[in-house]
Amino acid sequence: MNASAPTKRAPMRSRSRWVRIRPRTIVIHVVAWAIGLAWLLPFVGVAMTAVRPLDQTSLGWWRLSPFSVTLDNFVAVWNNPGCPLSLGLRDSFLVAMPATIIPMLVGALAGYGFARFQTRSRDYIFLAVVLFMAVPQMMVAVPVYNLMIRAGLISSLLSLILIHSAWGIPWIILFMRNFFRTLPLEVEEAARVDGASDFKIFYKIVLPMSLPAMAAIIVFQFMWVWNDFFFAQVLIQNPNWYLSTQCVPRLVGQFVRPYDLLSAGAILTMSVPVALYAILQRFYIRGLVGWTIKG
Amino acid sequence: MKIPGGGLFSRLVPRRGDRVSMGRWGRSQARFLSFFLPAAIFLIVLVIYPIVATLTLSFVAPDGSYAGLQNYGSVLGSPDTFNPACLQRGPPCGTLLNNLIWIGIHLPLTVFMGLFLAVLLQNVRGASFVKSLIFLGMVTPLIVVGVVLRFVLEYPIGVVPAFFGWLGIKSLDVNWLVTPNTLLLGLIFGTVWSWTGFSMIVYSAGLTTIPKDYFEAARVDGASEWQIFRKITWPLLRPVTLVIVTMTLLWELKLFDIVIGATNSQGGVGGAADVLALQMYRYFSNINYSSAAVVATLLTIFTLIVAVGLFRKLLGLPLRKKGRRTAPSVPQVETKPAKAAGDEAQGAVEGIS
Amino acid sequence: MGRMVAIIVALLVVTNVITGLAVYYLAVPAPGAGSVQVIGPWAGGEWANFKPVLDAFKNATGISYQYTTSRQEDLSLTLPINFQAQQSPADLIFMPSATIKQFAGRGWVTDLTGTLSPSSYQPGALDPLTVTGKVWGGAYTGKVKPGFWYNSSFFTSHNLNVPTTWAGFSQLLWDIKNTSGVSAPILSGDGVGWPLSDVTEGFIETYGGAAMHRALTNRTLSWTDASVKAVFQNYLVPTLQNGFWSAPQTWNDPAVIRSWWNGAYPLYFMGSWITSGFVPNPANLKVFSLPGGGSNQGIVFAADYFFVPKYAAHSDLGKRLAQWLSTKEAQTIQVGVGGHIATATGVSASAYPALDAQVASLMQGKAVLTDLDDTIGNPFQGHFWSELQSLWATPANWQTVLANIQAAAQAQP
Repeated sequence: MNASAPTKRAPMRSRSRWVRIRPRTIVIHVVAWAIGLAWLLPFVGVAMTAVRPLDQTSLGWWRLSPFSVTLDNFVAVWNNPGCPLSLGLRDSFLVAMPATIIPMLVGALAGYGFARFQTRSRDYIFLAVVLFMAVPQMMVAVPVYNLMIRAGLISSLLSLILIHSAWGIPWIILFMRNFFRTLPLEVEEAARVDGASDFKIFYKIVLPMSLPAMAAIIVFQFMWVWNDFFFAQVLIQNPNWYLSTQCVPRLVGQFVRPYDLLSAGAILTMSVPVALYAILQRFYIRGLVGWTIKG
Repeated sequence: MKIPGGGLFSRLVPRRGDRVSMGRWGRSQARFLSFFLPAAIFLIVLVIYPIVATLTLSFVAPDGSYAGLQNYGSVLGSPDTFNPACLQRGPPCGTLLNNLIWIGIHLPLTVFMGLFLAVLLQNVRGASFVKSLIFLGMVTPLIVVGVVLRFVLEYPIGVVPAFFGWLGIKSLDVNWLVTPNTLLLGLIFGTVWSWTGFSMIVYSAGLTTIPKDYFEAARVDGASEWQIFRKITWPLLRPVTLVIVTMTLLWELKLFDIVIGATNSQGGVGGAADVLALQMYRYFSNINYSSAAVVATLLTIFTLIVAVGLFRKLLGLPLRKKGRRTAPSVPQVETKPAKAAGDEAQGAVEGIS
Repeated sequence: MGRMVAIIVALLVVTNVITGLAVYYLAVPAPGAGSVQVIGPWAGGEWANFKPVLDAFKNATGISYQYTTSRQEDLSLTLPINFQAQQSPADLIFMPSATIKQFAGRGWVTDLTGTLSPSSYQPGALDPLTVTGKVWGGAYTGKVKPGFWYNSSFFTSHNLNVPTTWAGFSQLLWDIKNTSGVSAPILSGDGVGWPLSDVTEGFIETYGGAAMHRALTNRTLSWTDASVKAVFQNYLVPTLQNGFWSAPQTWNDPAVIRSWWNGAYPLYFMGSWITSGFVPNPANLKVFSLPGGGSNQGIVFAADYFFVPKYAAHSDLGKRLAQWLSTKEAQTIQVGVGGHIATATGVSASAYPALDAQVASLMQGKAVLTDLDDTIGNPFQGHFWSELQSLWATPANWQTVLANIQAAAQAQP
């Protein structure tokens, strides 16, 4: 390896290099930004259709005259008789919050067990747990549906919370176990010498050190649960308790193809995960890239 | 402050000093179980039992008697699932072929678009903002993406027909949702649009782990950008590519929300965009549990093949060697370039000059 | 580290506060104890026509109602798993008769034998819902699908005449196609696909005859039979291949209706519901049937059927509403708005608006048939619709489409 490799900043100082790089950099920048904006185009269309009355956009939202902004679509979809998004959003929150906290705690507990305690079969169990992440949701749908009927939990948000918790546990175990393995043992060993029990060590020492990992889990799991449609559709049958993801396709159902309502509903439903992503992007990406197998 | 546990792939091979608590055998087992118990309960009741139950269900006839492989036969033999005539006259092809077609078009497109974008955005100002824009499709609920696709492909309100009309291709300036060919292609491109963000982000992360020195050294030695890419970047990104390909495959097999959001429970006109997961949902809605279980089992078999394939490639470790770590681990991309692959790169650099 | 703790804590607090507020302010108001929940497929203008009937029920009995719109296609997907979980979204639901029979077979339907009497109906009206002597639902008003509706001012301004032969019809289509301002002579309705099935049945009942239609409905005749193929090959498919049909558009989109009425797509095969509230100038709304059929033609009369689910929260209220809907009082109100035809006896001819007289005259001499795909039911119906959509997209594949439809018919339990 060349010992005298120049640093990244070097090219900008040299005048001749600067002139030579410029056109190419400009082209790259233009192309990159154009691609980024082109990627955004469908969402721009949705936003336009959501804030404008339908008769302005029905022939193509890019027709900019006439142009008037209205919030009527959002109000209409908020109170929509078929599936009001006010209730939909409420239900999505009511499911996503517990379904994030529960698997995080249970998974962290289990991940710690996998990271610290050696048993003969531990690694086989771990492999099995990891393989569960690859199983599609469809594989468990029918028995879980029947199970929830027998437990009397159909159409109760609790059923959805439980299945999402169970579904999130494998990847959280994997993620936390990987994380715990990077923590130095000295602190825990010292506490153990002082006579602290395992749980106390976990709760008082290890967990506070794990906040970044927990943040990543919170963000990722919350978004995953919020964006789910299949489990919600299987388990929540009562239209009074539909989640926001279930409400959106129901808007198509009704009468005309109401693109204004659909766009407004889509924006409301995706606003939460997009906002979360915008604020906590780093954690989301760490959750994604730190261990990339997430069904 | 460096965040522990971050980095591209977490290390699982023990570092020096990273000891596992070696309590006495029995105590260790009890302690492990006490930590694992709550998770185990969740998993046994809501994951393991249902998986086994579905598997059993797929071998049972609707009236409850043992049916052997009959259910599989009827599902696989149905033109809903497998309709090879479509190779001559176009869609619908049946769910199995649709998934395969989807994979065949979507996978290479997504991987290469992601790679292209990651490389392009390496040194662009405001790159993270552009990346966020591209990544939006991943963050949105997929059912919303499906509805957005419906919005984008329909005539006259959609951009896609309008775009082709603007280009002058009148035959494509129509409602893409009503013709089987355009419906399938439109949805496939829609999923490329949605999933490229993932491939781009992971490739971007992968690119950051390649030491800049390699590139500088190669440039100083007079290598062109393409040669650098071919001989340094691409080989070093191979493990990343593997992960991306696997994740994309898994995702493609589970397509459901997007199709039902963009079309209906039949998979659109003539069933042109019907996919396995949607077929399973239809069977489930009609209380045809046996067939639903069959499709679900088939899906799971495919996804497990892909997942296990990844593990074996990544690990390179056999599962039964004594004394060795048998847990799945991911190669450390950080360390690899510095060692073995670094030699490759060096050779490449020297080979160029 | 402290910052990250703060972020996480803040996140948790904020979301919990939002959740708490949401629950407090948006708790679902439980439907009043004395109100009956109804689900029907009608929205917008059609709902405005149905509402007076429900209001009259409320005035007569004092029972208030809650009506929700839901497409039957969506319901057929969600109701089975609802009922399997022993829940029901409503006390009275409108569904096709075949679906009601399927549900009854599974024990999900309340027996209405005591509540509804066949004597209050036209003969045979309750037959589609009667299994082994028990009546599993009620019939409401129905609609016929007589033929192609058009704006008479368009015809007069372009010197067009209503055709009486098949050749005349073909000529008319060519003439319209060559008229300026016309995008395509016939508007293809779409949505989930039943408009295409209606018009396909129109071709079958006219050029194949009522007997063929019945045989296909009873699945005693194969869709790939030569006689059926003849109808497609000689009549329907050529019109598709000559470009006489528009691309399928949402059948009740106001913009689409406008484009039909204003002459972009002058002909529209629809049912008699189109007479109530769809067009601005109903005086110009006229209809003609497919001409040139033989002596054994049929016309599809599709009644709306309803049932009371077994797991309804208030099945007694549902039964009372069911009884009300079967009376001539209720149906008289309904037919008064136009576009409906009563199934109850005792509804006088004067209750019908003048527009419907035209429809009645077209029914003369034709056998009354039931809607084919509604009678066979799902999963055939879904396949039938999507196959017809694909036929419209690629008419050259008509033989494959017929083969697929036959496969779906055979697979139907």
